[in-house]
Amino acid sequence: MIVRPRKLLKDMRLLIVEDNDRMAALLADGLQRRGFVCDVALNLVQADEAMASAQYDAIVLDLGLPDGDGIDWLAGRRKYKQMPPAIIQTARGALEDRITGLDAGADDYVIKPVEVDELAARVRALLRRPGVRTQPVIEVGTLRFDTASRSACVADRKVDLSRREADLLELLMRRAGTVVHRDAIENALYSFNDPVTPNAVEAAISRLRRKLDEAAMPGMLHTVRGVGYMLKDIQT
Amino acid sequence: MTQRRSVSRRLRRGLGVIGLIGTVLLLAAVAFFYSFTFTHLDPQVAMLHAVKEMMEHVALPLVVLLVPVTVMVLRVIRQAFVPLEEAASEIEATRGHERGFRIDASHMPAEALPFTDAVNDLLTRLDEAAARQEAFAADVAHELRTPLALLSLELDRLDHNDAPRLKKDVAAMRRLIDQLMLLAQIDADAAAQIAPEPISLVNVASDVVGSIAPGIIAEGKMISLDIDEGTPIVNARREAVAAALRNLIENAKRVTPVGGTIQVRVGPGATLAVRDEGPGLTPDRLRDLVQRHRRADHASKTGAGLGLAIVERIMTAHGGMLSTDVATRELVLRFPEP
Repeated sequence: MIVRPRKLLKDMRLLIVEDNDRMAALLADGLQRRGFVCDVALNLVQADEAMASAQYDAIVLDLGLPDGDGIDWLAGRRKYKQMPPAIIQTARGALEDRITGLDAGADDYVIKPVEVDELAARVRALLRRPGVRTQPVIEVGTLRFDTASRSACVADRKVDLSRREADLLELLMRRAGTVVHRDAIENALYSFNDPVTPNAVEAAISRLRRKLDEAAMPGMLHTVRGVGYMLKDIQT
Repeated sequence: MTQRRSVSRRLRRGLGVIGLIGTVLLLAAVAFFYSFTFTHLDPQVAMLHAVKEMMEHVALPLVVLLVPVTVMVLRVIRQAFVPLEEAASEIEATRGHERGFRIDASHMPAEALPFTDAVNDLLTRLDEAAARQEAFAADVAHELRTPLALLSLELDRLDHNDAPRLKKDVAAMRRLIDQLMLLAQIDADAAAQIAPEPISLVNVASDVVGSIAPGIIAEGKMISLDIDEGTPIVNARREAVAAALRNLIENAKRVTPVGGTIQVRVGPGATLAVRDEGPGLTPDRLRDLVQRHRRADHASKTGAGLGLAIVERIMTAHGGMLSTDVATRELVLRFPEP
């Protein structure tokens, strides 16, 4: 039995900007129980203060705040400061509002009332993206991928991968839990000049799937026929 | 059953009666003027002569007068009713776009104006009532979100056997609220008459299937997307079409057993279809589900019908339709060809 190190997530510090103090406390509590370190800001002034005093990995942002609109604040800060990725948490259900939020520089959005599990999964997905704080090791369940050595292991057992398979696995792991579209895989794996045979992606996927299955990780790689592929932790 | 009163029939009858009365009165007047009595008509020859005289001087002028009058009056009446018939077909054509419709009174005869004005006034009041109702539903849905979010978060902390079951109930409530908000949004857009834009159905379907797939896979089910020849472009509101497709897939997910596959298809033509492994919906049942929730006199616990009612509403707003194919177990969204 190998104990999986959880220190990666423990390091992750979140700022929750939410004006309803009971909601903020409950959210922080829920996320803390899932291994995040959380600070709460009840308005934008407090959020600015928190941002000045600590380094955050991600922000969970409510939109309607007593001293201003979350979207404007985010857009304003994005203009001249390095900002951690932000998830907008909104009670607005309007279809176009979501898009406005993403246009303003939010990285993802959730609609209230949100499940803590869903929010935690979205934050984790956000943190796997290449960006602000580059992680040397990405992990999905017991599967770990070292981005520097381009090697993968399952519960400390190494999985042999070709360069292309390693690229594919990294792409799928960075977006674990979501479907990666075929076009995105093609664009990421094959350069413009590379001749791509029609079933090159399928072939690479099936090789990767075989290797993961052999490494005692069956059922991690899912096919959504006609759309793309998804890598998913077996437990969640 | 009494015969419905038709203006032309009454006119015809009235003119006939006038002709008859006129004839009798004329005869009476002639008889009185010339002091005729029945004894004067005793010989056969006198009788024949009298009849001939009457035909020439009474019946003929009456016919000559009454026939053109009848023709003209009927014509005038028919023309007077043409704007009403046109208004009726205009009203019929608004099916699905009723909001904001008013009868065009510019060609109406003056006599019909009080009626059309009254109807238009009624339509205005109905529109306002509907808007108030929608705004209220949207407000309620909106206000419910915060307490529901708190409830959901509190449940998350609860370490009890009942917690998962309660969480499921909260999730169901959340879905219903989402549907209500979506409905309000569609109505608001319809009222604001936001112009549709050209969108690719393949693109929308691929995005929706991609975003919904993780939840389906988590339940041990599968989903696939098939694309027929061509890439149909339709004029529509992208988010609304995505919501309609999402609703159909959610519906299919409910009836598909673990291990089953939901098949989404784009085309042929400007169509989106979702096939599940359930028993399929008959057209009657579909109409039933859609109607029942439109009338809002019944609400299912799962919100299945509400979802379909919303899909139907989105489709009518786009000039398309939601239909069912029992043979292939498919629900089909058909858009008008651009």
